[in-house]
Amino acid sequence: MITIHNLHKTLNKRKILDGIDFSFQENECIGLLGPNGAGKTTLIKCLMGILSYESGEISFQDQPIERYKKQIGYLSQYTDFKPWMTCRESLLFFGKLSGIKKELLEKRISETLKEVGLQDKQDVPVEQLSGGMKQRLGIAQAILHEPQLLILDEPVASLDPIGRNEIRNLIGRLKQRMTILLSTHILHDIREICDRYIIMKNGRIIKHLYREDQTIDLQQVRLQFRNAVSVDQVLNCFPSVTVEKLSPVAFLITGTHAFNLKHVLTACSLKQLDVISVGFHEVGLEDTFLELAADV
Amino acid sequence: MSQFTALVRVELTEAAKEYKYVWLTIFFVLLGLTQPLINLYMDLILQQMGGSIGVILDPDKPAPTANEVFLSTISGQFNQIGLIILLISFMGLIATDRQNGMQDFILTRPVSIHCYVSAKLIAHWFISMFSLGFGILTSYGCTVYLFGAFPMTKLISFSVLYSLWILYLISLVIVISMYVRHQVLIAISAIGISFLLLVLKNLDPVFSDGFPSSILNVAEHQLVRSSVVSYRSIFSCLLFTFLNLMWASKKLKN
Repeated sequence: MITIHNLHKTLNKRKILDGIDFSFQENECIGLLGPNGAGKTTLIKCLMGILSYESGEISFQDQPIERYKKQIGYLSQYTDFKPWMTCRESLLFFGKLSGIKKELLEKRISETLKEVGLQDKQDVPVEQLSGGMKQRLGIAQAILHEPQLLILDEPVASLDPIGRNEIRNLIGRLKQRMTILLSTHILHDIREICDRYIIMKNGRIIKHLYREDQTIDLQQVRLQFRNAVSVDQVLNCFPSVTVEKLSPVAFLITGTHAFNLKHVLTACSLKQLDVISVGFHEVGLEDTFLELAADV
Repeated sequence: MSQFTALVRVELTEAAKEYKYVWLTIFFVLLGLTQPLINLYMDLILQQMGGSIGVILDPDKPAPTANEVFLSTISGQFNQIGLIILLISFMGLIATDRQNGMQDFILTRPVSIHCYVSAKLIAHWFISMFSLGFGILTSYGCTVYLFGAFPMTKLISFSVLYSLWILYLISLVIVISMYVRHQVLIAISAIGISFLLLVLKNLDPVFSDGFPSSILNVAEHQLVRSSVVSYRSIFSCLLFTFLNLMWASKKLKN
Protein backbone atom coordinates (compact mmCIF):
# COMPACT_ATOMS: atom_id res chain seq x y z
CA MET A 1 0.00 0.00 0.00
CA ILE A 2 2.69 2.50 1.05
CA THR A 3 6.36 2.19 0.21
CA ILE A 4 9.09 4.37 1.63
CA HIS A 5 12.40 4.00 -0.12
CA ASN A 6 15.77 5.35 1.00
CA LEU A 7 14.39 8.49 2.64
CA HIS A 8 16.90 11.11 3.76
CA LYS A 9 16.17 14.32 5.61
CA THR A 10 18.67 16.77 7.11
CA LEU A 11 17.84 19.68 9.36
CA ASN A 12 20.48 22.19 10.49
CA LYS A 13 23.23 19.85 9.20
CA ARG A 14 21.89 17.02 11.40
CA LYS A 15 20.59 13.86 9.77
CA ILE A 16 17.04 13.43 10.98
CA LEU A 17 16.19 10.58 8.63
CA ASP A 18 18.99 8.42 7.34
CA GLY A 19 17.94 6.00 4.61
CA ILE A 20 14.51 4.95 5.82
CA ASP A 21 13.12 1.93 3.96
CA PHE A 22 9.89 0.15 4.72
CA SER A 23 6.48 -0.64 3.35
CA PHE A 24 3.15 -1.60 4.75
CA GLN A 25 0.16 -3.46 3.46
CA GLU A 26 -3.54 -2.82 3.61
CA ASN A 27 -5.20 -3.28 7.00
CA GLU A 28 -1.91 -3.66 8.81
CA CYS A 29 -1.46 -1.92 12.13
CA ILE A 30 2.11 -0.82 12.57
CA GLY A 31 3.75 0.61 15.64
CA LEU A 32 6.53 3.11 14.97
CA LEU A 33 8.69 3.04 18.05
CA GLY A 34 11.71 4.92 19.20
CA PRO A 35 13.02 7.15 21.91
CA ASN A 36 12.32 10.88 21.78
CA GLY A 37 14.29 12.43 18.93
CA ALA A 38 14.50 9.19 16.95
CA GLY A 39 12.89 10.83 13.89
CA LYS A 40 9.39 9.36 14.18
CA THR A 41 7.49 12.63 13.89
CA THR A 42 9.73 13.84 11.05
CA LEU A 43 9.13 10.58 9.17
CA ILE A 44 5.39 10.98 9.66
CA LYS A 45 5.48 14.61 8.51
CA CYS A 46 7.37 13.58 5.37
CA LEU A 47 4.83 10.84 4.85
CA MET A 48 2.03 13.37 5.20
CA GLY A 49 3.69 15.80 2.80
CA ILE A 50 4.06 18.51 5.46
CA LEU A 51 7.84 18.32 5.33
CA SER A 52 10.08 17.98 2.32
CA TYR A 53 13.00 15.54 2.16
CA GLU A 54 16.31 15.63 0.30
CA SER A 55 16.18 12.25 -1.35
CA GLY A 56 14.17 9.08 -1.43
CA GLU A 57 10.66 8.21 -2.43
CA ILE A 58 7.30 7.78 -0.78
CA SER A 59 4.61 6.17 -2.85
CA PHE A 60 1.00 5.27 -2.16
CA GLN A 61 -0.23 2.40 -4.31
CA ASP A 62 2.76 3.01 -6.61
CA GLN A 63 1.87 6.69 -7.13
CA PRO A 64 3.47 9.77 -5.52
CA ILE A 65 1.85 10.20 -2.11
CA GLU A 66 0.99 13.91 -2.66
CA ARG A 67 -1.89 12.82 -4.88
CA TYR A 68 -3.41 10.75 -2.10
CA LYS A 69 -3.64 13.22 0.76
CA LYS A 70 -7.39 12.63 0.85
CA GLN A 71 -6.77 8.97 1.64
CA ILE A 72 -4.78 9.73 4.77
CA GLY A 73 -6.05 10.72 8.19
CA TYR A 74 -3.67 12.21 10.72
CA LEU A 75 -3.66 12.91 14.41
CA SER A 76 -0.74 15.07 15.45
CA GLN A 77 1.29 14.79 18.63
CA TYR A 78 -0.16 17.97 20.09
CA THR A 79 -3.90 17.89 19.73
CA ASP A 80 -5.56 21.16 20.45
CA PHE A 81 -8.51 22.52 18.59
CA LYS A 82 -9.83 26.03 18.56
CA PRO A 83 -11.15 26.09 22.14
CA TRP A 84 -14.21 28.14 21.30
CA MET A 85 -15.44 25.74 18.60
CA THR A 86 -17.90 23.01 19.50
CA CYS A 87 -17.08 19.41 18.53
CA ARG A 88 -19.48 19.69 15.61
CA GLU A 89 -18.01 23.01 14.41
CA SER A 90 -14.50 21.56 14.61
CA LEU A 91 -15.45 18.63 12.43
CA LEU A 92 -17.34 20.93 10.06
CA PHE A 93 -14.17 22.99 9.64
CA PHE A 94 -11.96 19.97 9.01
CA GLY A 95 -14.57 18.44 6.74
CA LYS A 96 -14.54 21.56 4.58
CA LEU A 97 -10.76 21.50 4.46
CA SER A 98 -10.92 17.87 3.39
CA GLY A 99 -13.23 18.82 0.57
CA ILE A 100 -16.19 16.74 1.76
CA LYS A 101 -19.38 17.80 0.01
CA LYS A 102 -21.77 19.83 2.16
CA GLU A 103 -24.68 17.39 1.89
CA LEU A 104 -22.48 14.47 2.92
CA LEU A 105 -20.60 16.33 5.64
CA GLU A 106 -23.45 16.61 8.18
CA LYS A 107 -24.10 12.88 7.91
CA ARG A 108 -20.40 12.04 8.29
CA ILE A 109 -20.08 14.29 11.34
CA SER A 110 -22.92 12.51 13.14
CA GLU A 111 -21.54 9.08 12.24
CA THR A 112 -18.01 9.95 13.28
CA LEU A 113 -19.01 11.53 16.58
CA LYS A 114 -21.00 8.39 17.34
CA GLU A 115 -18.08 6.19 16.42
CA VAL A 116 -15.73 7.98 18.84
CA GLY A 117 -18.40 8.16 21.52
CA LEU A 118 -18.88 11.92 21.49
CA GLN A 119 -22.41 12.07 20.10
CA ASP A 120 -23.64 13.67 23.34
CA LYS A 121 -20.92 16.30 23.21
CA GLN A 122 -21.45 17.64 19.71
CA ASP A 123 -22.54 21.09 20.90
CA VAL A 124 -20.02 21.29 23.73
CA PRO A 125 -17.09 23.69 23.21
CA VAL A 126 -13.75 21.93 22.93
CA GLU A 127 -12.38 23.82 25.95
CA GLN A 128 -14.85 21.91 28.13
CA LEU A 129 -13.71 18.45 27.01
CA SER A 130 -11.38 16.21 29.01
CA GLY A 131 -7.99 15.18 27.62
CA GLY A 132 -9.32 11.79 26.52
CA MET A 133 -12.32 13.37 24.82
CA LYS A 134 -10.10 15.85 22.96
CA GLN A 135 -7.98 12.97 21.76
CA ARG A 136 -11.11 11.13 20.59
CA LEU A 137 -12.17 14.28 18.77
CA GLY A 138 -8.68 14.32 17.26
CA ILE A 139 -9.24 10.81 15.96
CA ALA A 140 -12.69 11.87 14.75
CA GLN A 141 -11.19 14.64 12.58
CA ALA A 142 -8.67 12.11 11.26
CA ILE A 143 -11.30 9.56 10.20
CA LEU A 144 -14.00 12.03 9.13
CA HIS A 145 -13.15 11.68 5.45
CA GLU A 146 -12.92 7.86 5.64
CA PRO A 147 -9.20 7.58 4.91
CA GLN A 148 -7.54 4.33 3.94
CA LEU A 149 -4.53 5.10 6.07
CA LEU A 150 -4.69 6.51 9.59
CA ILE A 151 -1.52 7.97 11.10
CA LEU A 152 -1.50 8.61 14.82
CA ASP A 153 1.45 10.41 16.38
CA GLU A 154 1.77 9.68 20.10
CA PRO A 155 -1.98 9.32 20.57
CA VAL A 156 -1.90 8.33 24.23
CA ALA A 157 1.25 10.01 25.54
CA SER A 158 -0.48 12.85 27.37
CA LEU A 159 -3.45 10.91 28.74
CA ASP A 160 -4.31 9.40 32.10
CA PRO A 161 -4.90 5.60 32.35
CA ILE A 162 -8.65 5.95 31.65
CA GLY A 163 -8.02 8.12 28.61
CA ARG A 164 -5.37 5.70 27.36
CA ASN A 165 -7.76 2.82 27.64
CA GLU A 166 -10.48 4.69 25.72
CA ILE A 167 -8.08 5.47 22.89
CA ARG A 168 -6.66 1.94 22.79
CA ASN A 169 -10.17 0.51 22.46
CA LEU A 170 -11.05 3.00 19.74
CA ILE A 171 -7.90 2.20 17.75
CA GLY A 172 -8.64 -1.48 18.18
CA ARG A 173 -12.04 -0.94 16.53
CA LEU A 174 -10.64 1.21 13.72
CA LYS A 175 -7.97 -1.29 12.75
CA GLN A 176 -10.72 -3.58 11.50
CA ARG A 177 -11.26 -1.33 8.52
CA MET A 178 -8.19 0.82 7.93
CA THR A 179 -4.42 0.66 7.85
CA ILE A 180 -2.92 2.30 10.93
CA LEU A 181 0.54 3.67 11.56
CA LEU A 182 0.93 4.46 15.19
CA SER A 183 3.95 6.30 16.55
CA THR A 184 4.89 6.17 20.20
CA HIS A 185 7.77 5.97 22.61
CA ILE A 186 5.68 3.99 25.10
CA LEU A 187 5.50 0.40 23.87
CA HIS A 188 3.21 -0.72 26.64
CA ASP A 189 0.35 1.30 25.22
CA ILE A 190 0.31 -0.31 21.82
CA ARG A 191 1.63 -3.82 22.19
CA GLU A 192 -1.83 -5.35 22.12
CA ILE A 193 -2.92 -3.32 19.11
CA CYS A 194 -0.16 -3.55 16.52
CA ASP A 195 0.69 -6.42 14.21
CA ARG A 196 4.18 -5.19 13.54
CA TYR A 197 6.67 -2.79 15.09
CA ILE A 198 9.35 -0.67 13.53
CA ILE A 199 12.01 0.52 15.93
CA MET A 200 13.82 3.75 15.08
CA LYS A 201 16.84 5.37 16.57
CA ASN A 202 18.91 8.32 15.38
CA GLY A 203 16.94 8.58 12.14
CA ARG A 204 17.36 4.93 11.19
CA ILE A 205 15.21 1.85 11.39
CA ILE A 206 17.12 -0.51 13.61
CA LYS A 207 14.69 -3.41 13.87
CA HIS A 208 11.43 -4.80 12.53
CA LEU A 209 9.53 -6.86 15.07
CA TYR A 210 6.31 -8.84 14.93
CA ARG A 211 3.85 -9.43 17.69
CA GLU A 212 4.81 -13.10 17.64
CA ASP A 213 8.38 -12.15 18.46
CA GLN A 214 7.66 -12.31 22.18
CA THR A 215 9.84 -15.17 23.32
CA ILE A 216 10.67 -17.16 26.44
CA ASP A 217 14.22 -16.98 27.73
CA LEU A 218 15.16 -20.46 28.95
CA GLN A 219 18.19 -19.09 30.76
CA GLN A 220 16.12 -16.90 33.06
CA VAL A 221 13.68 -18.09 35.70
CA ARG A 222 11.33 -16.09 37.87
CA LEU A 223 10.86 -17.49 41.35
CA GLN A 224 8.37 -16.49 43.99
CA PHE A 225 8.61 -17.75 47.58
CA ARG A 226 5.93 -17.93 50.25
CA ASN A 227 8.11 -16.02 52.72
CA ALA A 228 10.83 -13.40 52.39
CA VAL A 229 14.25 -14.85 51.59
CA SER A 230 17.68 -13.32 51.07
CA VAL A 231 19.80 -13.27 47.94
CA ASP A 232 22.35 -15.48 49.73
CA GLN A 233 19.72 -18.13 50.42
CA VAL A 234 18.85 -18.20 46.71
CA LEU A 235 22.53 -18.35 45.75
CA ASN A 236 22.90 -21.33 48.10
CA CYS A 237 20.44 -23.20 45.90
CA PHE A 238 22.02 -22.09 42.60
CA PRO A 239 25.73 -21.33 43.12
CA SER A 240 26.60 -20.48 39.51
CA VAL A 241 23.80 -18.02 38.65
CA THR A 242 23.26 -14.33 39.02
CA VAL A 243 20.35 -13.33 41.19
CA GLU A 244 18.25 -10.23 40.86
CA LYS A 245 15.94 -9.38 43.74
CA LEU A 246 12.60 -8.17 42.39
CA SER A 247 10.87 -8.01 45.79
CA PRO A 248 11.45 -9.63 49.21
CA VAL A 249 9.74 -12.79 47.93
CA ALA A 250 10.46 -12.64 44.16
CA PHE A 251 13.74 -13.20 42.31
CA LEU A 252 14.99 -13.46 38.78
CA ILE A 253 17.84 -15.94 38.32
CA THR A 254 19.97 -15.96 35.21
CA GLY A 255 22.17 -18.89 34.30
CA THR A 256 24.59 -19.68 31.52
CA HIS A 257 22.55 -22.65 30.26
CA ALA A 258 18.86 -23.42 29.92
CA PHE A 259 17.17 -24.21 33.23
CA ASN A 260 15.11 -27.29 33.94
CA LEU A 261 12.20 -26.11 36.09
CA LYS A 262 11.95 -29.48 37.86
CA HIS A 263 15.59 -29.17 38.98
CA VAL A 264 14.95 -25.61 40.13
CA LEU A 265 12.11 -26.74 42.37
CA THR A 266 14.16 -29.63 43.74
CA ALA A 267 17.11 -27.34 44.56
CA CYS A 268 14.82 -24.97 46.45
CA SER A 269 13.09 -27.72 48.36
CA LEU A 270 16.49 -29.18 49.43
CA LYS A 271 17.29 -25.81 51.03
CA GLN A 272 13.77 -25.73 52.55
CA LEU A 273 12.65 -22.71 50.54
CA ASP A 274 8.87 -22.74 49.94
CA VAL A 275 8.29 -21.90 46.27
CA ILE A 276 4.81 -20.78 45.30
CA SER A 277 5.48 -19.85 41.68
CA VAL A 278 8.15 -20.65 39.11
CA GLY A 279 8.40 -19.91 35.39
CA PHE A 280 10.67 -18.92 32.55
CA HIS A 281 11.15 -15.22 32.03
CA GLU A 282 9.23 -13.86 29.02
CA VAL A 283 11.27 -11.61 26.81
CA GLY A 284 8.69 -9.22 25.51
CA LEU A 285 8.84 -6.52 22.90
CA GLU A 286 9.45 -4.02 25.63
CA ASP A 287 12.71 -5.70 26.62
CA THR A 288 13.85 -5.96 23.02
CA PHE A 289 12.90 -2.34 22.40
CA LEU A 290 14.69 -1.07 25.49
CA GLU A 291 17.78 -3.13 24.66
CA LEU A 292 17.89 -1.91 21.06
CA ALA A 293 17.13 1.68 21.90
CA ALA A 294 19.85 1.73 24.51
CA ASP A 295 22.67 -0.08 22.74
CA VAL A 296 22.61 0.67 19.08
CA MET B 1 -11.46 28.08 -2.89
CA SER B 2 -13.78 26.60 -0.28
CA GLN B 3 -10.74 25.65 1.81
CA PHE B 4 -9.43 29.21 1.59
CA THR B 5 -12.83 30.57 2.62
CA ALA B 6 -13.05 28.12 5.53
CA LEU B 7 -9.59 29.14 6.76
CA VAL B 8 -10.32 32.86 6.48
CA ARG B 9 -13.68 32.47 8.20
CA VAL B 10 -12.11 30.67 11.17
CA GLU B 11 -9.53 33.44 11.59
CA LEU B 12 -12.22 36.12 11.45
CA THR B 13 -14.43 34.26 13.93
CA GLU B 14 -11.51 33.71 16.26
CA ALA B 15 -10.75 37.44 16.20
CA ALA B 16 -14.37 38.11 17.13
CA LYS B 17 -14.21 35.58 20.00
CA GLU B 18 -11.10 37.33 21.28
CA TYR B 19 -12.86 40.73 21.00
CA LYS B 20 -10.08 41.86 18.68
CA TYR B 21 -12.46 43.93 16.57
CA VAL B 22 -13.54 45.74 19.71
CA TRP B 23 -10.31 46.51 21.53
CA LEU B 24 -8.23 47.14 18.42
CA THR B 25 -10.93 49.43 17.02
CA ILE B 26 -11.27 51.36 20.29
CA PHE B 27 -7.52 51.74 20.37
CA PHE B 28 -7.31 53.17 16.84
CA VAL B 29 -10.34 55.40 17.35
CA LEU B 30 -8.69 56.91 20.43
CA LEU B 31 -5.46 57.26 18.52
CA GLY B 32 -7.32 58.92 15.67
CA LEU B 33 -8.84 61.44 18.05
CA THR B 34 -5.64 62.25 19.89
CA GLN B 35 -3.55 63.87 17.16
CA PRO B 36 -6.11 66.43 15.88
CA LEU B 37 -6.77 67.46 19.48
CA ILE B 38 -3.05 67.74 20.20
CA ASN B 39 -2.65 69.86 17.07
CA LEU B 40 -5.57 72.08 18.10
CA TYR B 41 -4.31 72.66 21.60
CA MET B 42 -0.61 72.60 20.80
CA ASP B 43 -0.10 76.29 21.56
CA LEU B 44 -1.82 75.93 24.90
CA ILE B 45 0.15 72.79 25.73
CA LEU B 46 3.44 74.50 24.90
CA GLN B 47 2.53 77.53 26.98
CA GLN B 48 1.66 75.32 29.97
CA MET B 49 4.85 73.29 29.51
CA GLY B 50 6.90 76.47 29.61
CA GLY B 51 6.20 77.00 33.33
CA SER B 52 6.06 80.52 34.81
CA ILE B 53 8.18 82.04 32.04
CA GLY B 54 6.10 80.46 29.30
CA VAL B 55 7.11 79.68 25.75
CA ILE B 56 7.27 82.40 23.18
CA LEU B 57 5.30 81.29 20.15
CA ASP B 58 5.66 82.79 16.75
CA PRO B 59 2.36 84.60 16.21
CA ASP B 60 2.87 84.42 12.44
CA LYS B 61 3.40 80.69 12.27
CA PRO B 62 1.12 79.14 9.65
CA ALA B 63 -1.87 77.21 10.92
CA PRO B 64 -1.70 73.54 9.90
CA THR B 65 -4.03 72.51 7.11
CA ALA B 66 -6.55 69.73 7.62
CA ASN B 67 -4.65 67.24 5.46
CA GLU B 68 -1.39 68.04 7.28
CA VAL B 69 -3.06 67.35 10.61
CA PHE B 70 -4.49 64.10 9.24
CA LEU B 71 -1.07 63.10 7.91
CA SER B 72 0.53 63.78 11.28
CA THR B 73 -2.07 61.44 12.84
CA ILE B 74 -1.00 58.64 10.53
CA SER B 75 2.74 59.18 10.59
CA GLY B 76 2.88 60.30 14.18
CA GLN B 77 0.38 58.02 15.91
CA PHE B 78 -0.66 55.15 13.63
CA ASN B 79 2.84 54.50 12.33
CA GLN B 80 4.42 54.53 15.76
CA ILE B 81 2.36 53.38 18.72
CA GLY B 82 -0.34 52.05 16.38
CA LEU B 83 2.19 49.98 14.50
CA ILE B 84 3.58 48.48 17.70
CA ILE B 85 0.14 47.42 18.92
CA LEU B 86 -0.80 46.07 15.52
CA LEU B 87 2.36 43.97 15.28
CA ILE B 88 1.83 42.68 18.82
CA SER B 89 -1.67 41.63 17.80
CA PHE B 90 -0.17 39.66 14.87
CA MET B 91 2.54 37.87 16.82
CA GLY B 92 0.57 34.65 17.34
CA LEU B 93 -0.88 34.34 13.89
CA ILE B 94 1.32 31.40 12.91
CA ALA B 95 3.04 30.58 16.20
CA THR B 96 -0.20 29.63 17.98
CA ASP B 97 -1.23 27.24 15.22
CA ARG B 98 2.18 25.62 15.29
CA GLN B 99 2.23 25.25 19.06
CA ASN B 100 -1.20 23.70 19.39
CA GLY B 101 -0.92 21.34 16.43
CA MET B 102 -3.59 23.09 14.38
CA GLN B 103 -1.09 23.79 11.61
CA ASP B 104 -0.41 20.07 11.19
CA PHE B 105 -4.12 19.30 11.19
CA ILE B 106 -4.67 21.83 8.42
CA LEU B 107 -1.68 21.01 6.25
CA THR B 108 -2.37 17.29 6.25
CA ARG B 109 -5.66 18.05 4.49
CA PRO B 110 -5.70 18.69 0.77
CA VAL B 111 -4.81 22.31 1.57
CA SER B 112 -1.71 23.81 0.00
CA ILE B 113 0.79 25.73 2.09
CA HIS B 114 0.19 28.78 -0.15
CA CYS B 115 -3.52 28.60 0.60
CA TYR B 116 -2.87 28.40 4.35
CA VAL B 117 -0.40 31.30 4.35
CA SER B 118 -2.55 33.47 2.05
CA ALA B 119 -5.62 32.88 4.21
CA LYS B 120 -3.67 34.08 7.24
CA LEU B 121 -2.55 37.17 5.33
CA ILE B 122 -5.97 38.12 4.02
CA ALA B 123 -7.83 37.42 7.26
CA HIS B 124 -5.46 39.47 9.38
CA TRP B 125 -5.37 42.21 6.80
CA PHE B 126 -9.15 42.40 7.00
CA ILE B 127 -9.11 42.46 10.81
CA SER B 128 -6.48 45.22 10.83
CA MET B 129 -8.18 47.29 8.18
CA PHE B 130 -11.50 46.99 10.00
CA SER B 131 -10.02 48.56 13.13
CA LEU B 132 -7.72 50.94 11.27
CA GLY B 133 -10.63 51.98 9.06
CA PHE B 134 -12.61 53.17 12.06
CA GLY B 135 -9.54 54.94 13.39
CA ILE B 136 -8.89 56.65 10.07
CA LEU B 137 -12.54 57.69 9.69
CA THR B 138 -12.62 59.04 13.24
CA SER B 139 -9.45 60.98 12.65
CA TYR B 140 -10.79 62.29 9.34
CA GLY B 141 -14.06 63.37 10.95
CA CYS B 142 -12.31 65.05 13.84
CA THR B 143 -9.80 66.78 11.57
CA VAL B 144 -12.50 68.05 9.21
CA TYR B 145 -14.55 69.28 12.18
CA LEU B 146 -11.64 71.11 13.81
CA PHE B 147 -9.47 72.17 10.88
CA GLY B 148 -11.71 72.26 7.84
CA ALA B 149 -12.49 69.89 5.00
CA PHE B 150 -10.26 68.10 2.57
CA PRO B 151 -11.47 65.82 -0.25
CA MET B 152 -12.69 62.36 0.63
CA THR B 153 -10.98 61.04 -2.53
CA LYS B 154 -7.62 61.91 -0.99
CA LEU B 155 -8.57 59.96 2.11
CA ILE B 156 -9.62 56.94 0.04
CA SER B 157 -6.50 56.87 -2.13
CA PHE B 158 -4.36 57.33 0.97
CA SER B 159 -6.17 54.51 2.81
CA VAL B 160 -5.84 52.08 -0.10
CA LEU B 161 -2.09 52.66 -0.30
CA TYR B 162 -1.71 52.54 3.48
CA SER B 163 -3.54 49.21 3.53
CA LEU B 164 -0.87 47.77 1.21
CA TRP B 165 1.77 48.72 3.78
CA ILE B 166 -0.26 46.82 6.41
CA LEU B 167 -0.47 43.86 4.03
CA TYR B 168 3.32 43.89 3.76
CA LEU B 169 3.70 44.04 7.55
CA ILE B 170 1.51 40.96 8.00
CA SER B 171 3.56 39.07 5.42
CA LEU B 172 6.68 40.14 7.33
CA VAL B 173 5.28 38.70 10.58
CA ILE B 174 4.45 35.47 8.72
CA VAL B 175 8.05 35.13 7.51
CA ILE B 176 9.50 35.90 10.93
CA SER B 177 7.12 33.34 12.48
CA MET B 178 8.70 30.65 10.31
CA TYR B 179 12.06 31.21 11.97
CA VAL B 180 11.22 32.44 15.46
CA ARG B 181 9.06 30.34 17.75
CA HIS B 182 8.60 32.65 20.71
CA GLN B 183 5.74 35.08 20.19
CA VAL B 184 7.35 37.99 22.03
CA LEU B 185 10.49 37.63 19.93
CA ILE B 186 8.35 37.57 16.80
CA ALA B 187 6.76 40.88 17.82
CA ILE B 188 10.08 42.46 18.78
CA SER B 189 11.72 41.39 15.50
CA ALA B 190 8.79 42.64 13.45
CA ILE B 191 8.71 45.98 15.28
CA GLY B 192 12.47 46.39 14.82
CA ILE B 193 12.40 45.65 11.10
CA SER B 194 9.33 47.84 10.52
CA PHE B 195 10.86 50.84 12.26
CA LEU B 196 14.08 50.33 10.34
CA LEU B 197 12.07 50.33 7.11
CA LEU B 198 10.31 53.52 8.19
CA VAL B 199 13.69 55.18 8.65
CA LEU B 200 15.02 53.85 5.35
CA LYS B 201 12.07 55.21 3.36
CA ASN B 202 13.34 58.72 4.00
CA LEU B 203 16.67 58.11 2.29
CA ASP B 204 17.43 59.28 -1.23
CA PRO B 205 14.39 58.33 -3.39
CA VAL B 206 16.59 56.61 -5.98
CA PHE B 207 17.72 54.25 -3.27
CA SER B 208 14.66 54.07 -1.03
CA ASP B 209 12.12 53.30 -3.77
CA GLY B 210 13.18 49.68 -3.44
CA PHE B 211 11.98 49.45 0.15
CA PRO B 212 8.41 48.30 0.78
CA SER B 213 7.96 51.16 3.27
CA SER B 214 8.44 53.73 0.50
CA ILE B 215 4.79 53.10 -0.42
CA LEU B 216 4.07 55.36 2.54
CA ASN B 217 5.74 58.23 0.65
CA VAL B 218 3.23 57.69 -2.16
CA ALA B 219 0.38 57.44 0.34
CA GLU B 220 1.47 60.66 2.05
CA HIS B 221 1.77 62.31 -1.36
CA GLN B 222 -1.99 61.83 -1.77
CA LEU B 223 -2.53 64.10 1.24
CA VAL B 224 0.32 66.56 1.02
CA ARG B 225 1.91 66.95 -2.39
CA SER B 226 5.65 66.43 -2.32
CA SER B 227 8.03 67.15 -5.15
CA VAL B 228 9.52 63.71 -5.66
CA VAL B 229 7.50 60.54 -5.45
CA SER B 230 7.86 57.32 -7.35
CA TYR B 231 4.91 55.08 -8.03
CA ARG B 232 7.36 52.18 -8.43
CA SER B 233 7.11 51.93 -4.64
CA ILE B 234 3.64 50.40 -4.99
CA PHE B 235 5.06 47.65 -7.13
CA SER B 236 7.98 47.25 -4.75
CA CYS B 237 5.67 46.83 -1.74
CA LEU B 238 3.50 44.27 -3.52
CA LEU B 239 6.55 42.41 -4.76
CA PHE B 240 8.04 42.18 -1.27
CA THR B 241 4.72 40.98 0.12
CA PHE B 242 4.57 38.27 -2.54
CA LEU B 243 8.20 37.28 -1.94
CA ASN B 244 7.57 37.07 1.80
CA LEU B 245 4.69 34.69 1.17
CA MET B 246 6.80 32.51 -1.13
CA TRP B 247 9.64 32.52 1.37
CA ALA B 248 7.33 31.59 4.24
CA SER B 249 5.73 28.79 2.21
CA LYS B 250 9.11 27.36 1.29
CA LYS B 251 10.34 27.52 4.86
CA LEU B 252 7.18 25.87 6.15
CA LYS B 253 7.69 22.99 3.74
CA ASN B 254 11.27 22.47 4.96
